[in-house]
Amino acid sequence: MQSNGHDQTAAVRDTIYRAALALDDQRWQDWLELCAPNFHYKITSFSPEINKDMIYLQGSRKEMDSLVRMLPKHNTDHSPLHRHTSVYTIDVSEDGKSAQAVSSVVFYQNMLDGNNSHIESGETRLFLAGRYVDTFAIEDGAAKFVDREVKLDNRRLDKGSHWPL
Amino acid sequence: MPARNHTQWSANPPLETGEWVDSRIYSEQEIFEEENEKIFKHVWVPVCHESELPKPYDFRTTTIAREPIVICRGPDNEVRAFLNVCPHRGMLIERRPSGSFLEGQPSGNPKRITCMFHAWQFDMKGNCVYVAREKEGYQDRLCKENVGLRRLRCEVKFGGFVWVNLDDNPAQTVEEWCGEPFECLRESLNAEPLEVFHYHKAIVDTNYKLWHDTNSEFYHDFMHYHNRITGFNDAYFARKNFAYDNGHVVVGTFEVNYENYEGFESRAELSFPHLPPNQWYMVDLFPGFNFNLRGSALRCDIVTPLGPNKVMIEFRGLGLKRDTPEERMTRINHHNSIWGPFGRNLHEDLIGVAGQGATMGPGTEPRHILHGRHENETIHDEIGMRHYYGTWGQWMNRLPSEPDKPYTATAVAAE
Repeated sequence: MQSNGHDQTAAVRDTIYRAALALDDQRWQDWLELCAPNFHYKITSFSPEINKDMIYLQGSRKEMDSLVRMLPKHNTDHSPLHRHTSVYTIDVSEDGKSAQAVSSVVFYQNMLDGNNSHIESGETRLFLAGRYVDTFAIEDGAAKFVDREVKLDNRRLDKGSHWPL
Repeated sequence: MPARNHTQWSANPPLETGEWVDSRIYSEQEIFEEENEKIFKHVWVPVCHESELPKPYDFRTTTIAREPIVICRGPDNEVRAFLNVCPHRGMLIERRPSGSFLEGQPSGNPKRITCMFHAWQFDMKGNCVYVAREKEGYQDRLCKENVGLRRLRCEVKFGGFVWVNLDDNPAQTVEEWCGEPFECLRESLNAEPLEVFHYHKAIVDTNYKLWHDTNSEFYHDFMHYHNRITGFNDAYFARKNFAYDNGHVVVGTFEVNYENYEGFESRAELSFPHLPPNQWYMVDLFPGFNFNLRGSALRCDIVTPLGPNKVMIEFRGLGLKRDTPEERMTRINHHNSIWGPFGRNLHEDLIGVAGQGATMGPGTEPRHILHGRHENETIHDEIGMRHYYGTWGQWMNRLPSEPDKPYTATAVAAE
C-alpha cells in the first residue's frame, strides 16, 4: 500500500527484521528504540494440558527496559539465541498510520555455557518455535512496535531464558 | 587447604555420617530402577489439579514410574484414576494430554473411554461396557465383567490437587501421608476453590533428587539476585526449617520485600486467604513434590524421573478461581516475574541443577555431596536434605553416604 509516497509494508518489514537482528545481537536498547513509548510485549502459549491461554512474560516498554538493564545482576545461560523470521502478512490500516503483521519465527540456541561447554558448546539446537504477532504505529515513513505478542507453540521450555524473544 | 590429590579428594569429609551423600545415588541406573519400584510405586503423587478437569467426562493423562495413567471426572463429579492401558492388547487408551470423553471418538461412542485399536469401551468408573464382537470371539469364556480397567487409588486433597497412588494398599491416606506439613497452608488452600493458570515443563539432564534438593535448601539464594535483594535481612536468616514424618520438610515464612527489586511490586493486595501480606511458605514433600506459596501465587512442582540423569519437572501456577480478570493478570505477573520460564529465578535454578547433572552422569566417580550446614535449623541449615535422605535410606534400604551398604538408623544420626 502506498501513502504519502511511502511504502508502509516495507517499513513494517524493515522494523521486524531490524528487531530480529538487534535481539539476536543482544542490542537490547537498539531493539527498544524500535518500540513506541506505549509499547507492550508479551510471550504467550496455549496449553492443551490445562486448556488455557497462558502468558509467560509481559511488560511495558519501561518494564522491558528495566528487565534488560538488570540482566548483568543475574546468572544466565549465555548460549546465544538466533531467530529465523519470515514475515507472512502485513495489513496496513486505511489511514496508513498503523499496521498489523504476522511472522513465523524459529529460535535456535547456539550452545555455550548452559551445561557442559566442552561437549555442547558450538552446537546449535532448536530452542523454540512460534509466531510474532505485531502491531505498529507508522509515522513519517517509519514503523514502530506498539505491541508484540510472541505466540509460542512450546510448553516444554527446559531452562527457559532471561532474554526477550 | 590447597587443591587435593585423588586420595584426599575421595576421603570422607570431616563431618558426621548423614551430613553428606555419595553421588552415585544420583547417577546409578540400578538405584534409579529401585527407586521406581520401592518409592514411586508406593507414594502419593499429586498428578494434577482438579481445575484441569472441571466438568464431568473431562480427563487428564499422566505417568508415574513409567505407568501411564488417565484421570477422569465422572458424571457423579468424582475424580477417578485408572491405568491408561487397554486390558485387551496393552494399547495406550487415551493419547491426548487432556480433553473430554463427552464427545465420541472415531472408534467409540460419547461418554466412553475408548481404545481406538479394537474399539473396547469403558465408562467413567472403569467398567468395560463394550467389547466389539464379544460373543463371536469369546463365546462365554470371557465377558465385559472380566476386563475392566485397572483402577488406582485417587484422592482430591489440599486445595484440589489430585493425588494418585499405584499401590492398591498404601500404608497411609493422603492426609496421613502429608497432612502435618500441609498444616501451615491448609486454611489458605482450602478456603475457596483454586485454579491452575500456568503450566510448562522442563526436561533436564539431572537427577530428580537434585531438583528437590534445590527446592529444599535456601543456601543457594546467593545465586538469586532477586532473593538477595528482596530477602536477605534478619527475618530471612531466622526463617526456620521444619522436618516432618515421611521425609517432608516445611520452610517457615517471613515477609518478602518485593519492591526492593526494580520494577517489581508488593503482593500484599492479593494475598491468598488467611495468609499475611507478602509471606512465603514452602512445603517439600518426599520424594519430589513442592508447593510454594509466595503471597499471591501458588507454585507446584511435580517431578517425573525419566532416568538416573534425566527428570521431567512440571510447573504449575495457581490462583483463586473467583479472581477477576484484573486480579488474575496480576497473579500471573507476580508468578511469572520469578517463576515463569522467562522469570528471574527459575532459569537460575535450572542452570544450577543442570550443572550438577553435568558432573554426576552415569559412570562418573563417586563424590561426596555435602549436606552438613548447621545453623540452628534456620534457612541456610541443610537439615531439609539430611531429613530427606534419612527417609530415602529407609525406603531404599541403602545408606545414602555408602549406597552399597544397607540402611541403619545409627549411621544416619546427624539429622
